Amino acid sequence: MSGKDKISVFPSRMALTIMKARLKGAQKGHSLLKKKSDALTLRFRQILKKIVDTKVLMGDIMKDAAFSLAEAKFTSGDFSHTVLQNVNKAQIKVRSKKDNVAGVQLPVFESYRDGSDSYELTGLARGGQQIYRLKENYFKAVELLVELASLQTSFITLDEVIKITNRRVNAIEHVIIPRIERTLQYITTELDEREREEFFRLKKIQEKKKKIKAETEALIARRKIELAAQGVRTQEHASNILDDNEDEDLLFD
Amino acid sequence: MNSVNFNINFGYLEGLCRGFKGGILKQTDYINLVQCEILEDLKLHLQSTDYGSFLANEPSPLSVSVIDDKLKEKLVIEFQHMRIHSVEPLSTFLDFITYGYMIDNIILLITGTLHQRDIRELIPKCHPLGSFEQMEAIHIANTPAELYNAVLVDTPLAPYFMDCISEQDLDEMNIEIIRNTLYKAYLEDFYKFCSTIGGSTTEVMCEALAFEADRRAFIITINSFGTELTKDDRAKLYPRCGKLHPDGLAKLAQADEYEQVKVVADYYGEYKPLFDGAGTGPGEKTLEDRFFEKEVKIMMSAFMQQFHFGVFYAYLKLKEQECRNIIWISECVAQKHKAKIDSYIPIF
Repeated sequence: MSGKDKISVFPSRMALTIMKARLKGAQKGHSLLKKKSDALTLRFRQILKKIVDTKVLMGDIMKDAAFSLAEAKFTSGDFSHTVLQNVNKAQIKVRSKKDNVAGVQLPVFESYRDGSDSYELTGLARGGQQIYRLKENYFKAVELLVELASLQTSFITLDEVIKITNRRVNAIEHVIIPRIERTLQYITTELDEREREEFFRLKKIQEKKKKIKAETEALIARRKIELAAQGVRTQEHASNILDDNEDEDLLFD
Repeated sequence: MNSVNFNINFGYLEGLCRGFKGGILKQTDYINLVQCEILEDLKLHLQSTDYGSFLANEPSPLSVSVIDDKLKEKLVIEFQHMRIHSVEPLSTFLDFITYGYMIDNIILLITGTLHQRDIRELIPKCHPLGSFEQMEAIHIANTPAELYNAVLVDTPLAPYFMDCISEQDLDEMNIEIIRNTLYKAYLEDFYKFCSTIGGSTTEVMCEALAFEADRRAFIITINSFGTELTKDDRAKLYPRCGKLHPDGLAKLAQADEYEQVKVVADYYGEYKPLFDGAGTGPGEKTLEDRFFEKEVKIMMSAFMQQFHFGVFYAYLKLKEQECRNIIWISECVAQKHKAKIDSYIPIF
C-alpha cells in the first residue's frame, strides 16, 4: 500500500463538496461498524463461557451414561444386537432456527422427540428398570450435545463475522479516511494555486494595459505638437453632431 | 434313574462338572480383582485362576468387549464338551438348556429379516450355545411367516410357536412379546420334562425352574407399568410352572403399581424378604440384584446333592453370573468409576 495515493479527481469546488460529503459518510460508517464489532465481541465472550461450562458438564454426563450402560448390561445381558436390529427411524430430531444478533444470523439447534418409544418393552423380563434409566441418561446426553453443537456453530460464525467487521473498521480508519483527507488537501491546494494564478494574471494584464495607455497618450501628445507646428487647428476632440450644438456648416446661428 | 446306576452313564460328566465348579472364582479372587487399576492388572489376576492365559494372545490395549468375548468362548467350549460326551437322557436335558439361547437367536434373526438386514451379518451375532442347523438356511425367507413355514417348523422350538402364536401374529406382535411368549412355553416344557426324569433331578430342577418362572412374572409385571402392554397380554406372558400359579399370577395380572406387587409377594414366604428393603436409591440393592442373589443361593444348594442333572444347569448359571461379575468389575475399572464396583453378586 503506497502511502501517498489519493483519489484522482479533477480539482474543482464541486469535487471538494463531494469529497467532504464522502468523508462525513466514512466517519459515520466507521463509528457504526465499531459499535457492531463491540456488540458481537460481547456476545462472543458470553458464548465462550457457556461452551466451557457445557463441555465440563458433558464430561460428567457422558461418564454417567456410560456407567448406566454397564449397569444395564450387567442385569439384562447383551441387548445391543436387539437394539441395533430394531432401528428404523429416529426418535430424537433436531430443528434449526435463526437467531439475529446485531445483524448476524446465528443458527440455533433445538431437539425434540418425535414418535413414541419403540423400545418400550426391551428388557421386559430382565433389567427393564436399568434400561429405562439408561435411556433417560442418554437422552440427557444427546440434548446436551445438541446444545453444545449450536453453541459451537454460533461461535465459529461469530468469529468469522467479527474478523470481517474488524478488518473493515481498520480499513476505513487507516486507508479510506486518510485517502479522502489527502484528496481534500490536494483539491484545496490546487484551488488555492489556481486562485493565485488568476490573481497574478490579472495584475499582469493591468500592468500591460497601463503601459499601452501611457504609450498611446505620449503618441497623441507628440502628434498634437507636430500638427500645431504646421498650423493646423486641432481640436481637442472629434466633432459629434449629436453632442455638440455647434455645427460648422450652419452660417447663421 | 437312581443313584446306583447313575455313575455308569453320567459319572464322568458329573465329575467334570464339579471340577469346573471348583474353578469358579472365590471371594479372595474378587477382592484382588476389585483392587485393580487398569485392565492389564485384571488380566494378570485372572491368569492365576482357572481361566489361565485365555487372554494371552490378545493384542494390547485390552478392551472390555474382548474380555467379554473370551469369557463366553471359554464357557461355550466347556459346555459343548459336556454336551458331546453325553447320552440320553442327559443329552436331551442339556439340549433343553440351550433352547433358551436359541429363542434369543431366533428373535434376533426375525428382527433382522423384518428390517431387511443381511442374514450373514446376523449369524456371527448369535449366541453360540443357541445355534441350530437351520440357521444358515434362514436367508431364503423374507417375511417372518415364510420364516416359520420354511425353517422354524423343523427346529425343536416349533411346538412353542404352535402353542401360542399363529402365523399372522408373527408379523404384528411386538418382538419382545414374542420372545416372552416363547420363553414361557419353553419354561413350562422344561418343567414337564424334568418332572418325568424323577429322583433328585426333579427336586432340584423343579425348584430352580419354579423360581425362574416366578421371577419372570414379578419382573414382567413391574417393567410393564407405564407401557402399552395391556393386563390381558401381560397375563399371557406369565409362566405357570412356579409357586405363584394360580392365585399369585391372577393377583399380579390385576396389579397397577409397585406397591400392589409387593403385597402379592408378601403372601409367599420366599419372596417377601426379597422385596423388603429393595429400592432404586444409591446404596440400596435393586430388586433384580436380590433376585440374582437368590438364584445363586438356589444353584449352590443344587451342588449339595449328588447323582442328578441339576449340577449341569447350576454350573451354567453360576458361570454366567461369574462372567457378568467379571465384566462389571472390568467396566468399573476401565471407566475409573469405582463407586459401585462392589455391586457384583458374590458366589462363594
